[in-house]
Amino acid sequence: MADFILDYGPLAAVLAAGGFALSAGLTLPAARFAAGLYRICGAAGACFLVLIGLLILLEIGSRAAAVYVPGLKAYAGYSMAASAFFAFAYTFGHRAHIRMSAIIGRLTGRARRIAEIWCLAASSFVTGFVCWYAVKLVAVSWDLEDVSESTDRMLLWIPQTAVAAGATVLFVCVLHRFVDVLRGADIGDQRSADVMATAE
Amino acid sequence: MEHILATAVFLGVLLFLLGSGVWVGFSLIGVAFTGMVLFAPGAFGQIGDRMMTVIWSSSASWTLTALPLFIWMGEILFRTRLSEDLFKGLAPWMSRLPGRLLHTNIIGCTIFAAISGSSAATVATVGKMSIPELRARKYPEDLVIGTLSGAGTLGLLIPPSIILIVYGVTVNQSISKLFIAGVVPGIVLASLFMAYVIGWSLLRPGRMPPAEPRRPFGEKLGQSLYLIPVLLLIAGVLGSIYGGIATATEAAVFGVAGALGLSAVQGSLSRETFRESLLGATRTSAMIALILAGAAFLTLAMGFTGLPRGLASWIAGFNLSKYELILALTVFYILLGCFLDGISAVVLTMAIVEPMILQAGIDLIWFGIFLVVVVEMAQITPPIGFNLFVLQGMTGHNIGYIAKVSLPLFLVMVFAVFLIVVFPDIVMFLPDSMAGPAG
Repeated sequence: MADFILDYGPLAAVLAAGGFALSAGLTLPAARFAAGLYRICGAAGACFLVLIGLLILLEIGSRAAAVYVPGLKAYAGYSMAASAFFAFAYTFGHRAHIRMSAIIGRLTGRARRIAEIWCLAASSFVTGFVCWYAVKLVAVSWDLEDVSESTDRMLLWIPQTAVAAGATVLFVCVLHRFVDVLRGADIGDQRSADVMATAE
Repeated sequence: MEHILATAVFLGVLLFLLGSGVWVGFSLIGVAFTGMVLFAPGAFGQIGDRMMTVIWSSSASWTLTALPLFIWMGEILFRTRLSEDLFKGLAPWMSRLPGRLLHTNIIGCTIFAAISGSSAATVATVGKMSIPELRARKYPEDLVIGTLSGAGTLGLLIPPSIILIVYGVTVNQSISKLFIAGVVPGIVLASLFMAYVIGWSLLRPGRMPPAEPRRPFGEKLGQSLYLIPVLLLIAGVLGSIYGGIATATEAAVFGVAGALGLSAVQGSLSRETFRESLLGATRTSAMIALILAGAAFLTLAMGFTGLPRGLASWIAGFNLSKYELILALTVFYILLGCFLDGISAVVLTMAIVEPMILQAGIDLIWFGIFLVVVVEMAQITPPIGFNLFVLQGMTGHNIGYIAKVSLPLFLVMVFAVFLIVVFPDIVMFLPDSMAGPAG
């Protein structure tokens, strides 16, 4: 069983995510479901951000009360990773990830569309690759029962699952967008998106 | 550098991915992947495992937690009545200075910079109120726009500063120390901006509008009453870091709590603004976390390419003096900043630049502040200057005009870089005198 998951888990995750992204690009119900998924993951990212704050408050409070709670800093670190990875897809949907627009910002029409297709193809490959190995990291940590070296003694596959889930949803989101653009979706104005990314 | 061809391919992929508009975080991962394929020994399958190990350990990081919290604090205060309070509270005190209300732009930016880590947010918040008010009073448009775009860059330097957190995480330096190191240079730079406005208006008295009517002291104080809680919040956050009471992350939690309290008292805290500020902070910190994850993998790959060592020994071969090296790096970063945003420029180059500056005996804290001032300058140079874009959106002027009126402020910043190079103590004396443990 363990070997099976180690050997085929990452492949299964990438195939399932890819298949779902494809159907989200082609059918409306799947697209709606995907949009909801990105939003929920964004909300999860926000919750983990709040959790970071609460954990640190607890850390300050316990120090002031001279009570030792082990592992709080490590938990805050896991929440940081979870917050970021869960929010990646949502952030991508809001066009808040930064890109260099000096050249594509000047392209119009067909050239602009080709450039966007290239960017999304490259990004789909990168996110698919990350998705594969993020799932594999969980499988390996789970198989070896890897434990954190810090005072929290957490089984590492637990926080790593959040990272793998976020990476998978990001892959779905990028590939979904890729299919949309291939089918002629509007590309939109990149420059204003860049400004929003920093103004926010 | 033994593998010249492979190095050329590696750099070519880097330029192509970034230049063609692939998202910066994905570009960094793609470039690092190429570097690993070309240079790293071992099986192809190991590349992904190594990648995920560094991405995991760099993402699940306690040090990094200061980042989303400070971003959130700025987001909360950005949605309060602060821009109004800043203008109304500062204006009565400025009417005696030559240049009068133009100084509200500079001091307003300085104050907002101390609660927000982003220069675009600083420009947007201060300008929202000051541009219409200053225009209505017929202040010269060149200076209204120029001082705002120049002083807005203080958002990057004066703590809390997002880019200093990113730098600190990248080169493994104390974020508390970096923050404290940014305080004095920030104040020096703000003073230089004010000196420029004073000088300009003394030389051209005819172009300044008449002074506002004098107000009694009590009324002035009444106007700025609203600013006091904000100033207390800033003093609390920075003071607790400087005094060694809190790490940067802990101070950030206090900052968020203070900001929430402040906006609740002001009445601008609603479910809607809370949600928006939180989601905004989530997006911005995810955006930066993606770049940092890519940068961690790129740093690993860079190690295999031998580029950092090669370049460092190549540069050492020139026997440049420390000052010549700094001059060269200044020009390099200003050019780079013309095409890349500040955070990407820092994470992309530090793997290569760090060995270089360590070899030259340059302090990493000092270099961080130097780097941020130089990157700030890039915020107001075309074609990619984020402050220029923000001001274009707010005023309707074209980029060329905004860049032109920002040029004198750019030159003031060149002078500031000169000052911190010649007198490094401007940067170093506060962090050197810091109390207690710093995290």
